[in-house]
Amino acid sequence: MAQSNASTRTEVNGLGVEVAFTRVFDAPRRLVFEVWTDPQHVVEWWGPRGFTNPRCEWEARTGGAIHVDMRGPDGRIYPMKGTFQEIVEPERLVFTSSALDEAGNSLFEVETTVTFAEKGGKTTLTMHARVVKSSPGAMQYIQGMEAGWTQSLERLEAYVAKAAK
Amino acid sequence: MSSDRLSTTFAALADPTRRAILARLVSGGVSVTELAEPFDMSLPAISKHLKVLERAGLIARGREAQWRPCRLEAGPLKAVADWAEHYRRFWEESFDRLDDYLRELKGRELKSKDKDKSDN
Repeated sequence: MAQSNASTRTEVNGLGVEVAFTRVFDAPRRLVFEVWTDPQHVVEWWGPRGFTNPRCEWEARTGGAIHVDMRGPDGRIYPMKGTFQEIVEPERLVFTSSALDEAGNSLFEVETTVTFAEKGGKTTLTMHARVVKSSPGAMQYIQGMEAGWTQSLERLEAYVAKAAK
Repeated sequence: MSSDRLSTTFAALADPTRRAILARLVSGGVSVTELAEPFDMSLPAISKHLKVLERAGLIARGREAQWRPCRLEAGPLKAVADWAEHYRRFWEESFDRLDDYLRELKGRELKSKDKDKSDN
């Protein structure tokens, strides 16, 4: 995994209401901002390894719609819908996103704020996420996704072990 | 724990006074009077917060009529911590991919610049 000049810090603020991350990318801010706001780029990196995004609507303007259908390694689709609340080019994005159940109802809604700061040609990305609301089924959804994820990692490990022989 | 309770837990945790009360309870169970001491709040106001925390399953209270000591319940807090962990992992993985993707884009930019040079 490429970790050379990347630092990830996670903080559980208070007692877990807000999650904060910081990460440094070895790229200028305009490029990092571009890959965050153009769906043709977002589709390439959104989601854990092994996941793809067969649908990626990402309308990066204030009030713009988000609809990403993420496909797990087990073939399961994880739909997500949201709205851009604020866009300040090239330094700040605020959006809400909801994971949806099979009937299209929101399982839990998260508000995410992303800020981009440039120093010496590198970009520090800071992310704050807080749960706005959550409904019955949220924990099952998370557990389901974690299970699919773990399987994909196990498969990858098995594949690498085989290839190394 | 039922997942219905997760939203109640998040709502209960949204208040700074309630988070401070929970933090205070980490070191052990205490009475309402002791809990109220560091806050500039009346006992009934503190009691209201305690009721919210109790409904969210974040604390339990003794049944002794006079004293009713409060203590922390770990279950719902663990569910919140699990969510935070899930969210952190999701983004760490996405950021690893973003990191690789940015490298790829920069590589492409350099190549097209080299190509421009050799074309000229």
